[in-house]
Amino acid sequence: MKGLFGDFGGQYVPETLLPALEELDAAMEEAFAEKAFWDEFSSYMVHYVGRPTPLTHAKRLSAHYGCDVWLKREDLNHTGSHKINNAIGQILLASRMGKRRIIAETGAGQHGVATATVCALFGLECHVYMGTVDIARQRMNVERMRLLGAEVVPVEGGTATLKDATSEAIRDWIANVDTTYYLIGSAIGPHPYPTMVREFQAVIGREAKQQIVELSGSLPDAVIACVGGGSNAIGIFSAFLDEAQVELIGVEAYGRGNGQHGASISFGTPGVLHGTRSYLLQDKDGQVLDTHSIAAGLDYPGVGPEHSFLAASRRARYGLVTDDQALTGFRLLNRLEGIAPALESAHAIGYLEQYSREKHGSKVVVNLSGRGDKDLHTVIGD
Amino acid sequence: MIAQAIRNHPRAVIPYVTAGLPDLDSTGRILSALKDAGAAAIEIGIPFSDPMADGPVLQKASHLALQAGFRMDDLFGRLGQWSAKIDIPLIVMSYINPLMRRGLHDTLARLKDGGVKGVIIPDLPVEAKGIHADCAAVGIDLIRLVAPTTVPERTREILAQCGGFVYAVAVKGVTGQRASLPEGLQGQVAFLKANTELPVCVGFGVSKASQVDELLGFADGVIVGSYLMDEVMKASDPAAAAGRALRILVNGVPRSGQG
Ligand SMILES: Cc1ncc(COP(=O)(O)O)c(C=O)c1O
Repeated sequence: MKGLFGDFGGQYVPETLLPALEELDAAMEEAFAEKAFWDEFSSYMVHYVGRPTPLTHAKRLSAHYGCDVWLKREDLNHTGSHKINNAIGQILLASRMGKRRIIAETGAGQHGVATATVCALFGLECHVYMGTVDIARQRMNVERMRLLGAEVVPVEGGTATLKDATSEAIRDWIANVDTTYYLIGSAIGPHPYPTMVREFQAVIGREAKQQIVELSGSLPDAVIACVGGGSNAIGIFSAFLDEAQVELIGVEAYGRGNGQHGASISFGTPGVLHGTRSYLLQDKDGQVLDTHSIAAGLDYPGVGPEHSFLAASRRARYGLVTDDQALTGFRLLNRLEGIAPALESAHAIGYLEQYSREKHGSKVVVNLSGRGDKDLHTVIGD
Repeated sequence: MIAQAIRNHPRAVIPYVTAGLPDLDSTGRILSALKDAGAAAIEIGIPFSDPMADGPVLQKASHLALQAGFRMDDLFGRLGQWSAKIDIPLIVMSYINPLMRRGLHDTLARLKDGGVKGVIIPDLPVEAKGIHADCAAVGIDLIRLVAPTTVPERTREILAQCGGFVYAVAVKGVTGQRASLPEGLQGQVAFLKANTELPVCVGFGVSKASQVDELLGFADGVIVGSYLMDEVMKASDPAAAAGRALRILVNGVPRSGQG
């Protein structure tokens, strides 16, 4: 089977979609082999997204934790998160394939905004599926998507969050497979998506590796990133996979603990959701469980298959941060560094508390995947 | 056994019923009513939390059945009684995750023990050879779906690993009723029939007696799900409603003048 990461990944999809996945796989392989494609991607990264993003030495945060903390500033990207890297890459691919109707799912709304943005930029029709629960808690991003000309389609089914928005996007794709490009927002889904999304997000890792060596003189002891579907994490991990001395740590949402969380790797078992086999939060009948995280982008019961492989093969480890610890991280980064992180990214910051107790004095790169403007009302509790 | 039941039926209609809606006692009564109404075989749908190939009606049916407390073990406990009483083939339709959760082979074996004759999995992995072999080892038919988008080469590969009947997906899209069926359907079915000995049955989108009549003109059987479950969910007596709805489909549209 194509797109396997050890026992994980693959293509578990309705037969109707299979030719579309094959077309996509072929288009991806062709594009990835062309220097011109990557030149164009890089040009958008520099002149539209604003890359390279800085690597900020967080001196006051370092003093607070007793660790040497460096922040990879994906929050400074155009549209406010790493999601735009993938959206640009995939819209270039969609254009090559001649697709003019774009659909996407979104949780926090960051991927929805990124997709609506690239559709505006390329003059393409855009429909974004979003759970009604997420629409309520990420209002600002809903309005941004509408301003960008996208239709935001509310999804009420199931738990009305990211997983249901993803299912609904897949249903749309099945029905409109000839005309439509499904611009998935994380390193999840059937092959070729997990590989494709990793390659577009790998720009984070390439830059971070070069920057940390230039600025600090050596590789870090650890790289830390939050894991929802796993795209920002796999993006930054990818450059360090072959550096065995660099510890890779993904941070999952532990929510309120007690069964109410989004920690698929920590608490899940292998299962199939949205076309891929990976760790999944499910009951003993294989029904997918409800999840909870204060961060809408981490509120997903599955995880990208490559993370399952990295966990099973112990190349990476996956830690837990609760809603409250993430909020503490959010406040701390505001106070000590003048940066408001997205609540998703605040999980990676929150993990420093545990990490610094274990590994006092170590040098770490934390992927600050997005900025927190969208989350202010959640934090303030209006 | 499945193939024979379809071939021997003058108007093979195969109803789909979500298990456990509103409870498994009712499912048992619905199955009997469908058999009495002339079903050629019956698909028992295992509810799933994330039914990505289903439209609103079957999503709702799945959701309600799970809310009502559907459990796999309860279903396994009933299958034997049902298949002993109902002398047409029972087929299970399920997304792959509930089947794999406790080991695919063991789950298939439990279905077989319950008298189930075939299994339909809408999200099989692209390479399903191993699962086909598992089904063969257990002695259960793996009924494969062929979509309107499936290319000839892939179709032949699917047909080589298919048992019971071939499930021709009528529409590009999820399950659910459609006012009309696509034009290329007859050609699609003809191509399948030219490439297999198995009966070819059409499903997805069928909702009216007139569509069933039209489809039985060129296909060996017709699968009806959303239309039936819609009736079941609306009714105060689900079994009676299911029987009534199916009888209309099996008997066909009366010719004008004949009543
Ligand atoms: C800022 C930010 N970080 C992280 C995530 C989680 O996604 P992933 O794990 O794919 O990076 C999201 C998702 O919406 C996000 O908006």
